[in-house]
Amino acid sequence: MKKIMLTASAVLLWSGCLHAQNTITMPAEDYKAIIQQLHTLQQRVDMLEHQKTPAQPAGLTNKKVTKLEKAVDNIYDTLDQVESKTLQDRINFGAELRTRVDNFKVENHTFFTDGSTQDTSNDNSWSNRFRLNMDAKIQKNLLFTGRLSVYKNFADSDNNNMTGDSNSVHRPGNSTVKLDRAYIDWIPEGMPVPLAITFGRHPSSEGPPFELKENRQRQSTYPGLLFDGEADGVVATVGLERYTGLKNSGLRLAYGKAYQDDDNIDSYLNNASSYSDTNVFAAFLETAIPGIDDSLMVFSALRATSMFVDTTPMMPPGFGQQANLGDMELYGIHAQANKVAGSNFDVFVSTGLNKANPNGQTVAGGTMGLLNNDGTTSHSGWAAYAGLRYNIQTSRFNNPKIGFEYNHGSDYWFSFTSGSTELFNKLAVRGDVYDLYYIQPFNDNLSMRLGYTMVNYNYGLSGFHIGDSGDSTETLRNGYMLLDARF
Amino acid sequence: MKKVLLCLALALLVAPSITMASDGAGLFVQKCGACHKRGGTAPSVNPADKAGVVWKKYFSRGRHPEDLAATINDAELETVILYLKAHAADSDQPAAAVIPK
Repeated sequence: MKKIMLTASAVLLWSGCLHAQNTITMPAEDYKAIIQQLHTLQQRVDMLEHQKTPAQPAGLTNKKVTKLEKAVDNIYDTLDQVESKTLQDRINFGAELRTRVDNFKVENHTFFTDGSTQDTSNDNSWSNRFRLNMDAKIQKNLLFTGRLSVYKNFADSDNNNMTGDSNSVHRPGNSTVKLDRAYIDWIPEGMPVPLAITFGRHPSSEGPPFELKENRQRQSTYPGLLFDGEADGVVATVGLERYTGLKNSGLRLAYGKAYQDDDNIDSYLNNASSYSDTNVFAAFLETAIPGIDDSLMVFSALRATSMFVDTTPMMPPGFGQQANLGDMELYGIHAQANKVAGSNFDVFVSTGLNKANPNGQTVAGGTMGLLNNDGTTSHSGWAAYAGLRYNIQTSRFNNPKIGFEYNHGSDYWFSFTSGSTELFNKLAVRGDVYDLYYIQPFNDNLSMRLGYTMVNYNYGLSGFHIGDSGDSTETLRNGYMLLDARF
Repeated sequence: MKKVLLCLALALLVAPSITMASDGAGLFVQKCGACHKRGGTAPSVNPADKAGVVWKKYFSRGRHPEDLAATINDAELETVILYLKAHAADSDQPAAAVIPK
């Protein structure tokens, strides 16, 4: 249309020029008609140009547009605030609370300090355990997991002198909040092999198969029969699935310390007492069992150097001693499958072997070395642990579960389970343990467990790495009920 | 001598980041603080008022109510945004009082 206007204008100009050069006369009516046509064209051009701007919807006034713009701004402001707040919530929190009552009876409990025996019992021993679970996805390849815990008996906040760095969180003590685990999983990018580095205070407690009895997800890397306790360390995990074709296969190489020498005075560790640290080196090769869904197999090897002992808490004042007694080796195989062969049974079997390499050192007046009484004799031990859990498929009763476990430890059996969630550290037993339990969920967050544990200690000093085990007639019977709330 | 060399190496490593940060902070105070100051024509603003990614979206959506073209050029704005992100609410060094409220 602009072209028409331009052409018309040009015609007029040209005609004007002609008129100037050669005057043209035309009837006034024709002139008026041309002017009228020009005017009409101009109007159409104006109209068309106006239509190029988007048509405003009917009823949408400028006032309304301004109001909408303000509303959008307001929404953006709110979004900014919510997003900023969300991004500042770096850590997700969860919690769990367990109240437990035990009715136990111990007969012929032997005190190794003087060989005397004693019966002890309590028909209602109550405890509370609170855990604050934390996790954060710092970056896509940098994850944090943590857990703080308070575990105490009812109406009792005394310190437990028999606990140490590896088990103080898992034994009833005072109401102090303790650090159970706090670690970073770092998955470096661009590595030639799939690699994850885990450092901090490790998820080294309640490992397989405890998740069955605890009715939760797997809590630890390490099989519960060999290692169950709080541990600081560094672990490198190499993914092997792409090389072996075995599902979830990987190799874990772990380093930690079971004891680090210090003088308990200075804030730094100065080797003042000249005892060696107990270093722990371990390798775990794990994979799903070929052909079996939801399964796990772990081969473990562990070496602890210069096993340290401090008998001060166990001996009369002035008779406590400290020493490095030698090295300990541990090997194990663990296999587990859930809902095996399409049934409602979860099953596991686990075995362990330990070998002591004493260095001649002794404590307790020269009467106790590493799994011996002379400081030099090398002993080996073994243990077997098996169990099953049946999932009762009845939604009317929230699908309860019933399980049975059995374990046997030989006379010199020893593993690092002092931080076990089992109140009586049943996997350290040198003898036989029969354990029956029933889990009754009430809803997704609350469940009850009833259980009965029967222990026959065939040998003494279960759980200790010092001394010759000797025979024992000690027995333990414990019935319990616990309530678990997790949210 | 080794210590001196180490210190120099450290200083060289640290210096660029310090310069970058101070440039960003300086520009932020100079350019943004001209209006966004206590008693200014706009409410006072600080990096910790928003999360880093929110700052980025704020400018990419063109949400600043005033046209900034006459106040700050593109390169300077980029520097200021980097500074805002580095000291945003979700950063490890949130800055909440660079411009007093």
